[in-house]
Amino acid sequence: MRRRKIERVEMRKLWDEDPVRIPLQKSRKRALVLVTVILFCFAVIGWRLIDLMILDHDKLTDRASQQYIREKTIAPQRGIIWDRKMRQMAANIESDSLYAVPSKIEDTRTLTKKLARLTKISSKKFNMDLLKKKNKDFIWIDRKMDLETVREIRKLLDKMGYDSVGFIPESKRFYPKGRTASHILGFTNIDNKGISGLELKYNTYLKGKARYVSVGTDARGNRLSSNIKEGFSGNNLVLTIDEGIQYIVEKELDNAMDESKAKAAVAIMMDPMTGEILAMANRPTYDPNTAGKFRDYMRRNRAITDLYEPGSTLKTILAAAALEEGVVDLNDEFDVSDGFIVVGGKRIRDTHKNKILTFQEVIQRSSNVGAVYVGMRLGGENYYRYIKKFGFGRKTGIDYPGEVKGILRKPENWSGTSLAALSIGQEIGVTPLQLLRAYAAIANGGALMKPYIVSDIISSSGSIVKRVSPELSGRVISSRTAKKVTDILKTVVEEGGTATRAYIDGNLVAGKTGTAQIYDQKTKRYSRDRFVGSFVGFVPADHPKIALIVVIYEPRGVSYGGVVAAPVFKKIIEQTFAYLDVPMERDENRIVLVNRFR
Amino acid sequence: MIDRRLVDNFDWGILLVAVALSLIGVLTIYSATRPVLDAVQKTFFMRQLYWIALSLIIFFIVVSIDYRWFMKFANVIFLLGIILLVIVLVIGRKGMGAQRWIPLGFLSFQPSEFFKIFFIIAISRYLSFIKPEEGLGFKDLVKIIVFFLAVPVMLILKQPDLGTALILFFIFIAMILAAGIRKKIILTVVIVALVALPFAGKVMWDGLKDYQKMRIIAFIDPQADTQGVGYHINQSKITVGSGGFLGKGYMQGTQGPYRFLPENHTDFIFSIFAEEWGFAGSLVLFAMYLFIIWRGFDTAGKARDMEGCLLVLGVTFMFSLYFFINIGMTLGMVPVVGVPLPLMSYGGTALLSNFLALSMIENVRMRRFALYY
Repeated sequence: MRRRKIERVEMRKLWDEDPVRIPLQKSRKRALVLVTVILFCFAVIGWRLIDLMILDHDKLTDRASQQYIREKTIAPQRGIIWDRKMRQMAANIESDSLYAVPSKIEDTRTLTKKLARLTKISSKKFNMDLLKKKNKDFIWIDRKMDLETVREIRKLLDKMGYDSVGFIPESKRFYPKGRTASHILGFTNIDNKGISGLELKYNTYLKGKARYVSVGTDARGNRLSSNIKEGFSGNNLVLTIDEGIQYIVEKELDNAMDESKAKAAVAIMMDPMTGEILAMANRPTYDPNTAGKFRDYMRRNRAITDLYEPGSTLKTILAAAALEEGVVDLNDEFDVSDGFIVVGGKRIRDTHKNKILTFQEVIQRSSNVGAVYVGMRLGGENYYRYIKKFGFGRKTGIDYPGEVKGILRKPENWSGTSLAALSIGQEIGVTPLQLLRAYAAIANGGALMKPYIVSDIISSSGSIVKRVSPELSGRVISSRTAKKVTDILKTVVEEGGTATRAYIDGNLVAGKTGTAQIYDQKTKRYSRDRFVGSFVGFVPADHPKIALIVVIYEPRGVSYGGVVAAPVFKKIIEQTFAYLDVPMERDENRIVLVNRFR
Repeated sequence: MIDRRLVDNFDWGILLVAVALSLIGVLTIYSATRPVLDAVQKTFFMRQLYWIALSLIIFFIVVSIDYRWFMKFANVIFLLGIILLVIVLVIGRKGMGAQRWIPLGFLSFQPSEFFKIFFIIAISRYLSFIKPEEGLGFKDLVKIIVFFLAVPVMLILKQPDLGTALILFFIFIAMILAAGIRKKIILTVVIVALVALPFAGKVMWDGLKDYQKMRIIAFIDPQADTQGVGYHINQSKITVGSGGFLGKGYMQGTQGPYRFLPENHTDFIFSIFAEEWGFAGSLVLFAMYLFIIWRGFDTAGKARDMEGCLLVLGVTFMFSLYFFINIGMTLGMVPVVGVPLPLMSYGGTALLSNFLALSMIENVRMRRFALYY
């Protein structure tokens, strides 16, 4: 210890005496400068490190992954829609889409002018778009263009070169039958996403899954890793619709529109045993291939999404309820010679004067006064229960988007006139589909079926994803009552009934007319000149194959259902039976009929 | 035999940190050059390990020889360096557009790396020999420039290696300032420099090679051409920045093995390290470099004579310069000049010359107590 101390002292002495060290003694200041400079340099790089590694971290990480991962998605094929006989109703075709690389375009104005002449885009807006996205490497100009436009643009580009503009083929939805069944199918948007109809309802099945590929590459473009998420094509749908019948129905609706100059028309055909929808058509209509060009009201499926007052067609439900409850018998007589009845201060008239009618004749001739008497015998609560049972006031559950449940007030909310009004089919809002289903229940002996349009969902490899079988919604009346109601409905098309124009040679028709005034929401009164004429029934009456409803909205001139709707019903049924080879119940006319429609 | 007291005064701190840094360097080289396409690991890291072993041997040999012995032969060493620089111009191997390597059978080395140390030894010796009491005069300055600076700078520029030439120049200025120089001269030089700058700037700009001009442009505006000259800077920033606070983890970096960052195991080794170890790791790394730099300047202050003081000062200054220029370059704050990161970058000659520099510090530090000799 001691020795070391001495050494230090002597050492210091030596330091001090060393002449070489003299300039270094001045260096205290310089040392301070040196330390400051070094620490300053560390502070600068430290700050820069914070800047890059913490503040800009996210941005730079994105750029790091962007440059070694290339992502690509390949759009799947959308599922095909077939009718019940596997005829294509909706398919896909390849269509060219035009894109631009804005960052490569030097003269936007000339390009936009030339292209705008060929496409439908305004050149000004197009130019602005290009300038706004100047730094982007990709924008769509127009997608899924028609062949003619593509050919014109290709001609132009062959001259100009494809540096900054080019085509990419995309899969486009195509409806080969055009307007046929347009309301059932619906349509898709430009990205093949279902927007309405079955395209919307079954979008999750139809859309499939895109194939996703991400490839990791090094700076020289060598593929290092790849991550593939396999996609699959969408599932295909098989419909209960028969394109042939659909065509017949649509054609006859067109004729009916021409003849009656009506505002709109609806027809639905159903297999009364199963609830399968065989055809469903609306007028006005649209072409799903160019859906964007049509107005909303043209694309609406009134059969499912619109309400109307059924009028006399609801008397069948009244009759079924009254017979089931045993409050009337087929031959009970009603005195309707006054031609009107006053209920709750409201006068309800008959259109034709009658004297004394049996219960059967009340329905056959559609006597309003008679119906009110029947309704009063049945009582409000009972009648309400049956209306409800027949599926009114709730959704049918059909596999179609946007269905409405209708309007049906509970008895406790009824006014003094409600029972009478309901007896003649007023104060209730129904969809054509609801009404058809109720008649189908009578046709099949009392079973309320759930209607459906899609029968099978099949994967692209052919396996069955889902098979729909008929579903019973509930039993409404006994088969005996159903038989009685059917017998009454048969007389409607016979001499003395309201729908002799629906009489068909060779087969018995059971059906009922309806002529309802339209309730004007503005004046709160039933309109005197706006009607809905309808006919709903099933054929052959005793072994029904088909239930059909025809609704004609606001026809001009005569508007009785028996005049505007019944003939349409007859024509559709006749052609459909020929198409389906349904044998006749009455032999004598068979050969004639077959010859007529073959 | 080595004096027992010498061993007692040996500063293990410098050596341990230096070895640690060079081993971190090997790990980072391993990660940066790891293969992704084929399974064969490149042998860069093994060669670097051999060089570390060789460097340690030379370190201990140099440390055991008293630095004053080197001082005695300073002129000879300097001449030897000049001869090597001439040889490299005559028989040197070309690489990347410059003639910097002398092939020695299985390995090749860059004489300009060692020359910097020879240069520092010679200058230290000369400055302490003329003992400028009042600071260096104008005459002294001219003499030193003519004797020591002009010839080697010209030879190195001929290779051409602008980076090394500039560093030599900066070391020279630092040592002149440390030795002391008359204020009058500093003032004159500054004024002359300011007046001549526009003219000299033009001459220098014209004298630069195209790639050098591009590097400066790229430094000023890296976005001007992200695929061309700005590529290095951009990629380095991306590499460092994507590391974040804790880094992607060792062997998890993508920028190096995917070859987006060029020179990833040599000049841009820090970017790779930062990518994998993050901000936290980078700070630890900086602390280790700061330790060595601090020990260097501390040793300069404690040196027992002016020779030793200037020698350590010069060597430490060189080490710091390399460190700051390299880090500044990888962080996009300094133009890309091709300066390796001391101790970590792949390259045997540079590694050896760094250990040589550290051995000088150790040498002077061990022998700071004059009494024992």
